[in-house]
Amino acid sequence: MKKYILKRLLTAFFTLLAIILILFILMQLMPGSPFNDEKLKESQKAALYAKYGLDQPIVVQFFRYVLNIFQGDFGVSYKISKNTPISQLIQTRLPVSVMVGGVAVVIGAIVGMLLGLLAALKHDTIWDTLATIISVIGVSVPSYVFALALSYTLGFQLQWFPMLFSTKDMMGSTVLPSVSLSMFTMASIARFTRSEMLEVLGSDYMLLAESKGISGGSLIFRHALRNALIPIITVLAPLIVDLMTGSLVVEKIFSIPGVGSLLVNAIQSNDYNVVISLSFIYSAMYILIMLVVDILYGVIDPRIRLAKKGE
Amino acid sequence: MSKKISTAYSDPAPVYVPVDADFRLKDNAGEIAIDTNFASQNFWKDVLVRFFRKGGAVFGLIMIVVITLFAIIGPGMNEYTYSGQELSQKNLAPRVPGLENLGIFDGSETMRTTTGSMKVNNYEDKGLTDTYYWFGSDNFGRDIWTRTWSGARVSLIIAVAAALIDMIIGMSYGLISGYFGGKTDMVMQRILEIANGVPRLVIVTLLLLVLKPGMLTIIFALMLTEWVGMSRIARAEMLKLKEQEFVLASRTLGAGSFFIIFREVLPNIIGPIITQVMFSIPTAIFTEAFLSFVGLGIPVPQCSLGSLISEGFNSFTTHPFQIIPPIIVMALLMLSFNLVADGLREALDPKMKEM
Amino acid sequence: MADYNEKILDIHDLDITFNTTAGPVHAIRGVDIDLMKGETVAIVGESGSGKSVTMKAAMGILASNAAVNKGTIEFTYHHADGTQETVDILEKDKKWIRRHINGKRIAMVFQDPMTSLDPTMTIGKQLIEGMVWHFKTPKKEAWEKAIQLLKEVGITDAEKRMKNYPHQLSGGMRQRVVIAIALACNPDLLICDEPTTALDVTIQAKIIELIKRVQKERGISVIYITHDLGVVAKVADYVNVMYAGKIVEKGKINEIFYDPRHPYTWGLLSAMPDLNTEDERLYTIPGSPPNLLREKTGDAFAPRNQFALEIDDKLEPPMFKITETHEAATWLLDPRAPKVEMPEELKARIERMKKEAEGYEES
Repeated sequence: MKKYILKRLLTAFFTLLAIILILFILMQLMPGSPFNDEKLKESQKAALYAKYGLDQPIVVQFFRYVLNIFQGDFGVSYKISKNTPISQLIQTRLPVSVMVGGVAVVIGAIVGMLLGLLAALKHDTIWDTLATIISVIGVSVPSYVFALALSYTLGFQLQWFPMLFSTKDMMGSTVLPSVSLSMFTMASIARFTRSEMLEVLGSDYMLLAESKGISGGSLIFRHALRNALIPIITVLAPLIVDLMTGSLVVEKIFSIPGVGSLLVNAIQSNDYNVVISLSFIYSAMYILIMLVVDILYGVIDPRIRLAKKGE
Repeated sequence: MSKKISTAYSDPAPVYVPVDADFRLKDNAGEIAIDTNFASQNFWKDVLVRFFRKGGAVFGLIMIVVITLFAIIGPGMNEYTYSGQELSQKNLAPRVPGLENLGIFDGSETMRTTTGSMKVNNYEDKGLTDTYYWFGSDNFGRDIWTRTWSGARVSLIIAVAAALIDMIIGMSYGLISGYFGGKTDMVMQRILEIANGVPRLVIVTLLLLVLKPGMLTIIFALMLTEWVGMSRIARAEMLKLKEQEFVLASRTLGAGSFFIIFREVLPNIIGPIITQVMFSIPTAIFTEAFLSFVGLGIPVPQCSLGSLISEGFNSFTTHPFQIIPPIIVMALLMLSFNLVADGLREALDPKMKEM
Repeated sequence: MADYNEKILDIHDLDITFNTTAGPVHAIRGVDIDLMKGETVAIVGESGSGKSVTMKAAMGILASNAAVNKGTIEFTYHHADGTQETVDILEKDKKWIRRHINGKRIAMVFQDPMTSLDPTMTIGKQLIEGMVWHFKTPKKEAWEKAIQLLKEVGITDAEKRMKNYPHQLSGGMRQRVVIAIALACNPDLLICDEPTTALDVTIQAKIIELIKRVQKERGISVIYITHDLGVVAKVADYVNVMYAGKIVEKGKINEIFYDPRHPYTWGLLSAMPDLNTEDERLYTIPGSPPNLLREKTGDAFAPRNQFALEIDDKLEPPMFKITETHEAATWLLDPRAPKVEMPEELKARIERMKKEAEGYEES
C-alpha cells in the first residue's frame, strides 16, 4: 500500500512538473506576454526582467517560476483587470466555481447511481429502457445545450429560477447551472453503475451468496453494491474533468463569476498570463483529484490495500 | 412460447410407430467425423446480425447517414450561400412553402416585450412575399438552413478526421508498447501517464493560443487529446493476443515484429478499435463546439455547429429559432454516434450469459 | 442417523427452457433424479448438457430468463421438532426458498473458488453471514463456530484466516473455505458443481477426500456435478449420465463403469485418461454437443453415434430397464435392434479396471 501511494505521488509530482515546464515554455513564446510587449519602456522592461529574473540563465528562471507558482504568485493580469495579481482574481472566483461544480458532482453521482441501480435491478423491463434512454441522452447532449434549454424554459419563460447568477440568491441561482452541469456526470455514472451492477449480479459470488439464502436488501447492499461501487470511483475523476470543461461554457451562459468564465474572458481578450495561470490551476486540481481517487480506490479495495509489497 | 415447446417434444403427434426396418445400423461413420452440430457462421456476419437487431443502433446509423447526406447536399438546396449576407432580411423566422398554409413555419414569431407578447411576421411587414428562409435567417441576414448544413459538414470533417488520426497514433503507440513490453513498455506507459495527467481542456486551449485558429489547428488539437484512450485499448488487446498460438507460430516462422504487429494482431483487434473511434467522434464534435463557443473555433465567415450555437446564444431569448437547428443537429449527431458505438460494442462482445 | 431408505430429493420430469436473445433454448428435457439420504449421486455429462441448470433449479437460483415448463422437485426435510415435510421447490417462491432451503438445508459448492467468494468481504464475515441470517446466531458464537468449521475443512491458522480476504488465499484453500461456508448451517444436502475442475491435480484429490470425509461424519447427501469420470469413480454411489438435457443412462456406480449400455457412456469411458492404456491415442467423442437452439427429432446423440440406427432419427428412445437400478435410453436395447457390442478397446479397459478394483479390495 505504501509503495502504491508513493508511486501515485511521484507520478502526480512529475506530471505537475511537466505541466509547469510546458507552461513556462509557452510563456516564453507568447507574443502578447508582458515580457515581450513593445509598448514597455526599456527601464520598465529591465525592472520586469529583474523581478522575474529574466536576465538569468533559463534553468534558474525555470526554478524561480516553479518556486513562485508554489508560493501562489502567478504574476499580474495584463488585460482583463490591469495589474491585478492573478492570485487575487482566482481567490474570489475559485470558491464559486467549486461550489457550482461540487453541487453538480453530488447531484450527478447520487442520481446517476440510483438510476443505474434501478436499471440493473429491473433489467430488461420498462425501467431499464427508460433509464438507458435518459443516460444515452445525458451522455450525448453537451451540458451547455442543457444549460441553454433550462435557461430558456425554466429561467426565461417560466421564471422559476434566475436566468443569471447572483450572489444575493446563491441557492436559487445555483440550481440551473448545477443541474445542467450534472447531466453528463449523472448519465455516465448511471451507465457505468448499470453495467457494473449487471456484471456483479451475474457473478459467481452473488450466486454463492444467494445459495447461502441471503436475499433482498442484504444481498444488494452487502454484496452487490459494494463490489459495483469500487470501480465507479475510478470514473469519477475523468468525469470531474469533463465537468470542468463544461463549466467554462455554463458559467458564461449563466454569467457565473467563476474561474471558468474568467478563463473564457482571458482567452477572448488574449490575456495569456491569466490563461496560463488558470491552466496550471486546472491541471493541479485535476492531478489532485486523480491522486485522491487513486488512493481512495486503494483504501477501499482490499485487493490493492493488501497487495504484496512487490506489486 | 414455452408451452408450445414442451408439447412439441413430449407429445409428438402423430407418434411414429417403429417398424423392423428401422432397426438397422445407419453406418454414418463418414458423417460423424464432421462437426455439423453448430452452424459455423462468419464472425462479422454474426456481428452485423446482432447490430441490426438493436433498434437504437439502427436509428443512430440512419440518422448519421441522413445528416451526412444533408451536410453534403443541404447547402446547395436553395439559392443562398453560407456567407451571403442580406442585412435587410435579418432575423427572419422560419418559413417553408406549403407548410406555411398550415399555420406553422409561416414566418411569424412571438416577440416578448415588457407589455406582453405579440405575434409578428417580418416577411409580411417587409413585403417579402416570395422569400423563404426554411430555418430562418440570422443577425446578418444569412440563411440558417445553409449555414446549419455547412456547419454540420465542417463539424463532421473535423470530428472524423480527428478520430481517424487519433486511431492511427493511439493504436500504433498502444500496439508497440504492448508488443515489446519490458522497458519499452515501462517508459512508454510513464509518458502516457503524464500526458494523461494534463486535462484535455488545458492542452486544447494552450495549443490554440499558440497556433492560428482554423480547421487544421482544431483537428491537431483534438488529435492530441483522444489518443490516450485509444492506445490503452490497443495495448490491452495486444497483451491479450501476443501470447496466443497464431502469434507464436508467426514468430517461430521468423516473421518480423512489424509484420506481427500490423499484419497478425491488428486485424484481430479491429472491432474494439472501431468502437473506440465511434466513441471519440462525439467527443470531438463536442470539443469543437466548445472551442467555438469560447472563441477559439473556426474563423468567420466559415461556420461549424459550435460557432452557430455560439452566435445563436447571443439572441436566443429574442429569436430562439436561430439556435434550435444547430443544437438539434449537434445533439442528434452525438446521440447517433453514441448509439452506434454502443450497438457496435455489444455486437462485437456479446455478454451472452443467459444460461 | 436417520433411515437410509428415506428419499431426500426427487426430481421428476423436469423440463426447462431459456429464453435467450438467439431464441428459446430447451436446456432440460424431462430429467428424473432420485437421491436417498446419506447417498452420493453423480451427474455426468459434457459442458452444456444441463447438469448445472438442473441443480440450480433445485436451489431456486435459476437465471431470470429460465422458464420451467413442467416437472417437480420434491425435497424432504425435518423440522426442528422432528416432523417431516416434503415440498415441491418449484412451487415455492424465491423468498421462501431463500429462507427455508438455501444454505440451511441445501448448500452448494461452486466450480471456481477464484470467483465464487466475494472479493471485498473477509472470509470470516462470509462464513458467519449465513448463520447470522438463518439462525440469528450471536456474532461471537458464530465467529467461534466459523473457526471450528475452518479447522474442520483443514485450514491451519484458522483464527488468522478469518480476517483474510479471498485474494490472500490459494485456490485450494479458497475451495475449502467455500466448503466451510456450505457446511455453516448444517445442510442435509450438499450440491458440488464441478468442485475440483478449477484446481490443481494434487489439490483435487485432497478436496474430494475432504468432501467424502465431511459427508461421512455428518451423514449428509451429496450430489456431484462433473464431467470427470475419475472423480465419479472415487465418490459416487449412483451415476446419472446426462446428454443434451436428458438422462441417457443411470445406475449404480458398478453398473455404469463395468456394464455401460449407452454408446455415449461408452464414449465417456473410452475418453477417460488411463495410465495403462496401450493405445497411446486418447479417444474422443466425435462432433460437439448439440445446439439446443434447434430441436432434433429422435435421439439427440444420433449424429455423433457410430452405432446409430435408422430409428434414432425418427423417434426418441425410451428408458430401457436393464436391472432394478440400471436404465439406459438407447434403441440398441430394443429387442428388434441388432446386437451391438461395446468397442473392443473399452472392453479390455473395463476388464483391467475390474481387476484393479479386485486387487484393491483384496489388499
